[in-house]
Amino acid sequence: MVRAILLILAVVFLAAAPFFGDAVMIQYGIDALLFATLAQAWNILGGFTGYASFGNSAFYGLGTYGTAIAMAQLHLPFWVGLSLGAFLAVLCAVVIGLPILRLRGHYFAIATLGLSATLAAIISNLDISGRNIGLILPLTRNDVGFYEEALALLVASTLTVMWIAKSRFGMGLIAIREDEDAAQVMGINTTFYKVVALMLSAFFTAIAGGIHAYWITFIDPASAFDLSLNVRMVIMAMFGGPGTVLGPVVGSFILSAVYDALARSISTAAALLFGMVIVLAVIFMPRGLWDLGHGLRQVGWRYFLQNIRLHRL
Amino acid sequence: MLFAQIMVNGLLLGGLYGLMALGMALVWGVLNIVNLAHGAVVMLGGYCVYFLFTGAGIDPFAALPIAMVVMFALGYLLQRYVLNLIIRSAQLNTLLITFGLDVVLTYLAQLAFSADFRAINPSYAGANLTWMGVTIPLVRLGAFVTALILAGLLWALLQRTRLGRAIRATAQNLVAARLYGVNPAQLYAVTFGLGAALAGAAGGLYGMVSQVTPYVGAALTAKSFVITIMGGLENPFGILLGGVFIGIAEALAAIYIGPTFTDAISFGLLLLILVARPARSLRGA
Amino acid sequence: MSAGAQPMLEARGLTRRFHGLYAVNDVSFTLQPGEILGLIGPNGAGKTTLINLISGTLFADQGELIFEDRRIERLHPYQRAHIGIGRTFQVMKPFPRLSVLENVTVGALFGFGGGERNRDKAREQARALLEFTGLDRRMDQNADQLGGPDRKRLELAKALAMRPKLLLLDEVMAGLNHVEVDEVVTIIKKIRDSGVTILVIEHVMRAIRSLSDRIIVLHHGEKIAEGLPDTVLADARVVEAYLGKRRA
Repeated sequence: MVRAILLILAVVFLAAAPFFGDAVMIQYGIDALLFATLAQAWNILGGFTGYASFGNSAFYGLGTYGTAIAMAQLHLPFWVGLSLGAFLAVLCAVVIGLPILRLRGHYFAIATLGLSATLAAIISNLDISGRNIGLILPLTRNDVGFYEEALALLVASTLTVMWIAKSRFGMGLIAIREDEDAAQVMGINTTFYKVVALMLSAFFTAIAGGIHAYWITFIDPASAFDLSLNVRMVIMAMFGGPGTVLGPVVGSFILSAVYDALARSISTAAALLFGMVIVLAVIFMPRGLWDLGHGLRQVGWRYFLQNIRLHRL
Repeated sequence: MLFAQIMVNGLLLGGLYGLMALGMALVWGVLNIVNLAHGAVVMLGGYCVYFLFTGAGIDPFAALPIAMVVMFALGYLLQRYVLNLIIRSAQLNTLLITFGLDVVLTYLAQLAFSADFRAINPSYAGANLTWMGVTIPLVRLGAFVTALILAGLLWALLQRTRLGRAIRATAQNLVAARLYGVNPAQLYAVTFGLGAALAGAAGGLYGMVSQVTPYVGAALTAKSFVITIMGGLENPFGILLGGVFIGIAEALAAIYIGPTFTDAISFGLLLLILVARPARSLRGA
Repeated sequence: MSAGAQPMLEARGLTRRFHGLYAVNDVSFTLQPGEILGLIGPNGAGKTTLINLISGTLFADQGELIFEDRRIERLHPYQRAHIGIGRTFQVMKPFPRLSVLENVTVGALFGFGGGERNRDKAREQARALLEFTGLDRRMDQNADQLGGPDRKRLELAKALAMRPKLLLLDEVMAGLNHVEVDEVVTIIKKIRDSGVTILVIEHVMRAIRSLSDRIIVLHHGEKIAEGLPDTVLADARVVEAYLGKRRA
């Protein structure tokens, strides 16, 4: 109950923030909210079933291009574009998910790696998507509007994850993560569960891509199907705590802040430090912030050494 | 004749790809680590040979063994003091940490060497053989032969030496390694070092047939991965064949489908292979 | 067992090869409703493979499986769970980072008939089963913190939570002491008395003798004997294949 009230207050505060902040802060806000949504969307499959998708950047690209094609080429309204993008992404999730979700571990992760490269190659050879030059969307100067849309999407995706964490469906996903063979013989239609999780993940990812496309007004294959975006989703979700409700959101807020602060100084140094943060985080807090919180309360600073002792050779 | 030329180009480049993938396959097969920093090590090997050639005037082929030693040391240290710390952690964590290392190595290279394109051009860089109307660039032929020799050496090391037997035993079972009187932490580091040394050699050759920048790593990692899956983890020559297959497929795609598709082609093939192979044989990797 | 009775499970010529070697070779048998059938044989005889074929964890290369009155050899594992086949794993497969209660709740949520849809009701069923198997005191611990005997009990409780009609037990008594074996034997008899048909793999001879209505012996993937426990265990071929090898 206390938790629910705190969460509602946090959302109200975030919703009111743009009316007090300056233009630059709002832009950082939009970015941070969209990233948090992407991390949360990745969490639905990656955190709950343990299947690490590197194909979410493909869903992001489809959301981006769906929106851009509808608005720039067909002159349809924004919401139609969003729907088209989301439809394409969910369709892709089903078509590609059915065969490759049979693969496990590394094989699944890397099979999905190929997805965005392949889609980017196709998109950059189609006239309707502006080939490799890209598309320009109609300009709208309403950053506060974009901010609130991004916040609404983050809230929607987090509510979805909240439901998953409490539902029979979510229990099935978690069982798959813990032991897929056991989950199967206990009556879980693992393929169906994984595909539905991938579809949900694709849906939120595509909408985030669509909002970003309309906000940024220019898109091309390289930025829409950017694999490093997917890697950031994974890192943010893992950093916060995969398979938790709020971990990915908190994790991505923190990392976005760190990254932006670093990027303002020198970009090469920022990337370098980012890489080091990943390495150190994997070594010292392999289960993310959420587990770190529990660990610190239980055993204090020994938590870090414990992790190394547990996982070293 | 065009077709024959494409096949030869693909074959020669494919040998190099195969060598590159050998290092990844060794580490994957024995340590169960998919090393996403593999391409970055290839890139560093390329710079190593480049500077030995331009700075010290050493012939690039003669510089390969030196680059291999340097990369072995780097690989040994990385495994011993970083990767060994998390080796029993969740599988995704080993992917993440090697990704982090990839980022670190890439941007360190950018700070140290700048983002310029570097090509290794020895005096014989333009020399060709012509045989039945097909042109064979000498450097590419040399790279291909070197790849074959190194694959043969790796095979001999794994099959014929005590170290090789210990490595193969470790791939089956960590406890077995202890029976050989080898400290597993040490053996893991040596294996990773060997993988890095092979990557370093591949990087040197890559710098001779193409160009090196700090950013080539990711694409090379991806390629190595695809080839490793095709070739299987067991047999070095299977990996070389996988490399040749990808090399030829890329060369054909560049001519007959369009150059924008070369990167997508290996991934397209990978998807096909993964999906077509029965799921059971891919389990538990 | 009257001759005309509809068997719970019938296997006809089940065969499964690995790399050209027969793990299970042309095995046929029937299992009557309410029966406890013991499955024994030396290590590597194909016992676990046979259970894998029945639960769907592996598919058979050849042969038919009839459960009640339908062919099931092509059904997926989850479909077989829904029609009432539950199993334990010899190499135990708890959900390691879930609590004992959650582990068992999964069985109740997804087992026979697709399981209980309501998570609270499923949890209540799981709680009752934990009392039945003597695990209620460990309810809130994570499964990976349990010791060996408790893990065995958890395997059993998870399978029971699925409310199976046919229960496949793969060495649930291995590594237990005398007292614990007797406890589990009592539990298994109670399960049968509640109307569940049981196929049990076991190396503990005392337990298999007192539990089984009939026994099947596998050797090199083939069925070499079948019958009442005392008859089968006295069979010269069985002694040679199974017990003789142990002594050697």
